[in-house]
Amino acid sequence: MSIFSIQLLTGLAYGMLYFMIAAGLMIILGVMNIVNLAHGTLFLISSYIAFTFISQNVGFWAALLLAMAGTAILGIIIERLLIKRVYGKELEQVLLTFGLTYIIADTAKWIWGTEMHTIAVPALLDSSITMGSMVFPIYRLFVVLVGCGLALLLWYFESRTRIGAIIRAGVDDRDMVSALGINVGLVFTGVFAFGAALAGLSGVLGGPLIGIYTGMDSEILVTSLIVVVIGGLGSWKGSFIGAILIGLIETFGKVWFPSLSMLIVFLLMVVVLIIRPQGLFGREVA
Amino acid sequence: MLKKCKVWGICLLAFMVILSGCSGSAISSKKTASKGEEETIKIGMILSATGTFAPLTEGIRNGFNLYLEQHDNKLGGKKVEIKFEDDEANPQVALRKYRQLVSSEKVNLLVGPISSAVAYAIRDEVEKDKIILIDANAAGNDLSWSKKSDYIYRLSFSNWQNGSSAADYLAKNIGKSAITIAPDYPAGKEVISAFKAAFEAAGGKVVKEIYPKLGTNDFATYITEAAQTKPDLVYTFMTGSDGIRFVEQYNDFGLKGKIPLAGPMELGDQLIIEATRDNTEGIYSGIIYSPWLENDQNKKFVEAYKKKYSKLPNTFAVSGYDSAQVIDKAIKKAGSVKSADLSKVLKGISFDSPRGPITIDPKTNNPIQNFYVAKNTKKDNQIVPEVIETVEKVTMPETAPAN
Repeated sequence: MSIFSIQLLTGLAYGMLYFMIAAGLMIILGVMNIVNLAHGTLFLISSYIAFTFISQNVGFWAALLLAMAGTAILGIIIERLLIKRVYGKELEQVLLTFGLTYIIADTAKWIWGTEMHTIAVPALLDSSITMGSMVFPIYRLFVVLVGCGLALLLWYFESRTRIGAIIRAGVDDRDMVSALGINVGLVFTGVFAFGAALAGLSGVLGGPLIGIYTGMDSEILVTSLIVVVIGGLGSWKGSFIGAILIGLIETFGKVWFPSLSMLIVFLLMVVVLIIRPQGLFGREVA
Repeated sequence: MLKKCKVWGICLLAFMVILSGCSGSAISSKKTASKGEEETIKIGMILSATGTFAPLTEGIRNGFNLYLEQHDNKLGGKKVEIKFEDDEANPQVALRKYRQLVSSEKVNLLVGPISSAVAYAIRDEVEKDKIILIDANAAGNDLSWSKKSDYIYRLSFSNWQNGSSAADYLAKNIGKSAITIAPDYPAGKEVISAFKAAFEAAGGKVVKEIYPKLGTNDFATYITEAAQTKPDLVYTFMTGSDGIRFVEQYNDFGLKGKIPLAGPMELGDQLIIEATRDNTEGIYSGIIYSPWLENDQNKKFVEAYKKKYSKLPNTFAVSGYDSAQVIDKAIKKAGSVKSADLSKVLKGISFDSPRGPITIDPKTNNPIQNFYVAKNTKKDNQIVPEVIETVEKVTMPETAPAN
């Protein structure tokens, strides 16, 4: 197994992680038209929740579910109490969610301190496969699988279920959906909670890969915003491809142009914005 | 129902504001009454409370505050008032905060900074304002060489000391060929060049130097590259979150136990050990401090620290503790808080630290101190940096070694 394939797999693993985060951001943006700048913070909080449970000897998998539930509940609280008040007011939304990032991140600093923490890889996946002279951790393959599984699930959910249909309709014409007797408020809360839970999922799965530290929230937010911009609004396929692209570019960029790797990511975003302002798979906006 | 929601919302908001207020007050200044005839000295702290360096800052402040608490909130017999400023590890911000502390707050002394870039940025100002700066962390070599100042005294260690201390042991006992991996910024380059010089002087050979970008979150590429070259050891300088990820990934990619991993003080410090636990087992490092060092002061220090913060102190906590200690001793000895008087006594001052005996070398304004070659070993279910060899009185050369 060559260094090349190791890098390919590493890039894919990060791409999938970015996909899980960006998917949550995108569904909230697509359906509710809200740029949830607190999305990275939900990611951070979820890692901390999982970390706390795991250090209390709750297993990894139980902690994963608890952290996802925890972030979903936090999402519901945020949506019901705060975001509900600023629907349709974009500036207020941005200020509100941006303010939340500070409040929540500082609260997290207060509770968990500024030290970095890590989540240990669950015992079941804590081994590596040896291929030739190379070793690759199974956990990373697992992250790739979860990412692909999530993409399939989202595709099925969106195109084959009633809720998916409502959400698609909501993206196109919110007023019409509510005129059809669907409780849009409830749908919004559900979507927000679901998006938050996805941030939760990625937060826990990312723990063993990138650790948990203050400032991680904004790094993650920037990367996932780039993924959404590149992939295009309202498109799973876009986020999926965009995230893989970013993961691979970051990984290979590090090898070929070590000092330029982050720049290349931004460059890609600029190029995409110039050539296809709606994103790779986004629909033309009138 | 809606009303109820509103009330709840306000309660929650209030709660959040209070919480964030609490954390704010926890990092803001500790005020003491300046009334009465007792003299008060103002100490300005300029550290990095946001970003990668935040945990280092927390350690330094914890150590400093512990010393204050143990000494009745007095240094050199004078009540202390601390003004804290966060420089965000940004030289521009640091200069602004420095101005604030020196011009508006009129502090008597400064403690800080974390980043060498900040130290270099404020160095000329410090010299101009003639204000004593106790360097609690910034390890840039030039603070002892070309940018040495009569007003800046380092209490921590320099990159030269940190990189060179364990090299001799590693070359003679672990292996002759090494790959180095360090972030691409001045400290990374300084530590590696010190390591390389000492390692090659002891008969070793650095076969490859790799410099990833600072703040890299995945080292898979570099680790696999190292694995393919099959050196006798990998020497890495990684701080904070970079270090934690590096150690974890070194294990993930199956190199732990195959190619020995070694590094400067950071790899044997609690900051990394606590986060990565068993994955640090077997790592060699050249440390200046561990909670298990055997001396009286350390025993008392660890006990008091554990009681106050319910965790073990790391090296940065000791730097903070010693910064307070040296100010205390210097003021007592000089009998004044004037910079000129303090400067005289700080040159060559000696004291006992939890890390062992310390003397500030008047030639470099850098501490002469023991380094300990340690191997992270599992004992009673926790990882302990076990001291293999003591490198006594590591002293910085007076001028930069010629390359």
